[in-house]
Amino acid sequence: MSELTKASGTTAVRADDPLAPKQHAQTAGGTGRRIYSLLRGIPSWMLWVLVVIWSLPTVGLAVNSLRARDAQRRTGWWKVSPDELTLANYETVLSASGTASLTDSLLNSFAIAIPATIIPIAIAAFAAYAFAWIDFKGRYWLFIFTVSLLAIPLQVALIPLLQLWVSGAHLTIPFIDKTITLVPDFDLAGTTTAVWLTHAGFALPFAIFLLHNYISQLPRDLFEAARIDGAGHFVTFWRLVLPLSIPVLAAFAIFQFLWTWNDYLVANTMAGANPNAIPTTIRIANLAGDFGRNEHLLPAAAFVQAFVPIVVFFALQRYFVRGILAGSVKG
Amino acid sequence: MGKVISTLVTVVVAVSASAVLWIGANLLFNQARDHWSRFSALAWGAVGFFVGLLLSGNRVTLASEGGFVNWVWLPLVLALVTAGIGVALSAIDGASQRLTLALVASALIGIGIGLLIRPEVQPGVDLSAVAIWLAIGLAIGGGIQTLRRAPIETGLLYGAVIGWLLGYWGGADLGAGSMATAVVGALVPAVVLGVRIGRSPNLTTVQRTVLEQKSRSWIFLGPAMLFIFAALVVPAIRTIYLSLLDRTSQSWVGLDNYQAIFANTNSWNISNWSNMFGSTLFYIGAILVMLALIVGLQQRRQTGKMVELGGPSAGPLIVGGLLLTFAAFTALRGTIINNLWWVVTVTFASTAIGLAVAVLADGARLERVAKSIIFMPMAISLVGASVIWRFMYVTRDSSLEQTGVMNAVWVGLGRLSTGSGIPTILVGVLIAAVLAGIGTILARNLVRREWARLILPGLAFFLVGWFLWRYLGAGIGGQRPNPVTGEIQANPIAFVQEGPFNNFWLMVILIWIQTGFAMVILSAAIRAVPEEFIEAARVDGATQSQIFWRIILPQISTTIGVVVTTLIVLVMKVYDIVKVVTNGNFGTQVLANDMFNTAFISRETGRGAALAVLILVSVLPVMYLNIRRMQEDR
Repeated sequence: MSELTKASGTTAVRADDPLAPKQHAQTAGGTGRRIYSLLRGIPSWMLWVLVVIWSLPTVGLAVNSLRARDAQRRTGWWKVSPDELTLANYETVLSASGTASLTDSLLNSFAIAIPATIIPIAIAAFAAYAFAWIDFKGRYWLFIFTVSLLAIPLQVALIPLLQLWVSGAHLTIPFIDKTITLVPDFDLAGTTTAVWLTHAGFALPFAIFLLHNYISQLPRDLFEAARIDGAGHFVTFWRLVLPLSIPVLAAFAIFQFLWTWNDYLVANTMAGANPNAIPTTIRIANLAGDFGRNEHLLPAAAFVQAFVPIVVFFALQRYFVRGILAGSVKG
Repeated sequence: MGKVISTLVTVVVAVSASAVLWIGANLLFNQARDHWSRFSALAWGAVGFFVGLLLSGNRVTLASEGGFVNWVWLPLVLALVTAGIGVALSAIDGASQRLTLALVASALIGIGIGLLIRPEVQPGVDLSAVAIWLAIGLAIGGGIQTLRRAPIETGLLYGAVIGWLLGYWGGADLGAGSMATAVVGALVPAVVLGVRIGRSPNLTTVQRTVLEQKSRSWIFLGPAMLFIFAALVVPAIRTIYLSLLDRTSQSWVGLDNYQAIFANTNSWNISNWSNMFGSTLFYIGAILVMLALIVGLQQRRQTGKMVELGGPSAGPLIVGGLLLTFAAFTALRGTIINNLWWVVTVTFASTAIGLAVAVLADGARLERVAKSIIFMPMAISLVGASVIWRFMYVTRDSSLEQTGVMNAVWVGLGRLSTGSGIPTILVGVLIAAVLAGIGTILARNLVRREWARLILPGLAFFLVGWFLWRYLGAGIGGQRPNPVTGEIQANPIAFVQEGPFNNFWLMVILIWIQTGFAMVILSAAIRAVPEEFIEAARVDGATQSQIFWRIILPQISTTIGVVVTTLIVLVMKVYDIVKVVTNGNFGTQVLANDMFNTAFISRETGRGAALAVLILVSVLPVMYLNIRRMQEDR
């Protein structure tokens, strides 16, 4: 009995972190043990073959990023010799100016990703709290409606949003032919502001869904106690819900940061025409576009671009995984 | 450096402005119960401010042109006036006194605004328009209130105000009127609203508490709903509308844009469907499906089911079906077909490989390392991944050394198959060993008389055997003799350029990324299968594969559904990879890239919007499924 509870207890804990190793119950077979272990070996070999295949492209790019243009063009990366390794590509890519410099676009990427992460978190936290703990008419349907927008392809919003940033929003009243300005023209087209505003809007359904899953699971007693103590919704949210939701806020923050940092479509639509406002992804795609000339710098550029997400990923993998799980599996 | 600072300033201003607004709204409604007059002042002040903002924002009033001060004075003055009225109203309880005060104040405000209207917008009134719109407004306002079974007169008042504004101002010839018409136009709605406000008594303490409670849902949801409607809902509706207009959104063209898409052979070309019957894939697939059907019929006699997970007919059916879809997608061409091909291949492969890794890694040594490596591409941008794989697919002239891994392997194998050194023999032995392994499985199933389980190993045996035969004999294709000199030379594959299978090589990139996603979710689901079930099955003598097919797989089927639907939505929108690697050339165009090029490069708004709507329509079933699942969860 004690063993059983222990086993189920560990599963419950580990379901939270699927990357953690799991000890297998020993299936001890007396006679065929050696054959069994040999057979059991085949799947694990297949696993490692997959792992090698999966890491090969990245390893190759890493090696090539450290080789000069001629070396890259002469032989494959697997024939690298230690004396041809150089940091020259990285120096070119990280130089303050020049045709292949990434520094400006790195700043733009931060200018997009940071506000596009902070603002939706705040807004979605309010909404998630309202959906979870404030009673109002139509709450259920409004929530279903919000979450059903999760699957909306953002292509469907791009054309009108670009028009909004270019010339503001105007409503022409039907049958009268008079136009009212709803949003004046702030001249945002081709700025990082337009990009992160767009991201902030697109992120909300997922953010609300994710935060709601967590906030609605907080123990009801807490809220009752707060109400008895005379705390209104504002105080409850500020003092109770926000501090308790730090893990899920972190999960969403990482998710959203990676998504906006790696985004290409939205940035290309809203700011692609302005070379001073483009983030790293567009910069690299443009480098890849003028074939041949900067081909040898692409590996280094791709690694510089991927550096931030990979650091975030390995440092905060736990939260990232939790975000993905909570986003897809209800729980 | 200046750029860093300006960016920081923008961010800080935006964040703090939204924070002040939101916290301010909360603090405002905190006052509603215990400090009614303070609340009234602030609330009415805010209303006045927004009315003023609407007027000067649309440049309707005098001195609203130009700088910030010109622009903001009217909202501020109006806010002060309305705040004063709010305080006065909150202090007076007598019904007739309230009505008088509200009437006088609103009349004064109406006259004031009317006097401030710029000559260019003073309306030359069309009385028939006023009458029509007034009637419509009254009918709608009254109708809504009747349907709600609420007092009809409130609806009539609001309907009158809106109808008046639309008819008097909207129906008029702006600039043709005089100061008098402007004053009348502003005075009437102001007075009607004044009546509405003056007739309602001050709220009781209970009502104030209710107000305070109810306002919270608006304050907490308001910003999110504003963003969602402004960034998603309204633009989506507008895109649908734009897709029915011509390329510059000038005139109505109905469904012409959609017709143009389907009439264009670049996006939808099924005229070569008969090519399907010329491909080997089709025949192998057809044979597999037929064998699976025969086995299934046989099996139904015993178990009552044609297809069963882990049963002998499932494998051949899946493989055969995949081969058939591949045969179909290589014969039918076009953007829409490509998208379908992407969805089928990436969704299936990512889920299958992800499931395989999740199962294989479960409890393996260094499990964490293996999973992290498979998962890592998720952190890399699609652009970065495309760059990475472009280097994998590099094709160089046959006289040069191949620097891309894929071609190096292909040419290297070709060289070995035409050579005769020790490496050639070693690789030959290796292939023969694999063949022998498959042969053993085949022989075992043969001895056990499990005929149905001969199909897939048989196919594998045939393919590997054919490969070995070519390897030992004519060569496998990575090298071939020069037709002129007879000299053996490299024969690389142009992975990116050679259609139609270049599509598949692009899909590999997305599979490389999304497998980690499927793995993480499925891995968690497998963990959540209760250990007792598996123990019980083991005690009953189930084999490892039976446990997987009969217990684990049914338990995680919901999760597989989630993974599949998520992937379908994601793949339907694929853009970055195609954009970076081929930009849609060489027959690899997909909907999202086509939409971008049409809408933002060729500037054909109508067609671009229609393509976007097509993407939306294709994910509607998934949205429906998601909603159903949400409702079941509740």
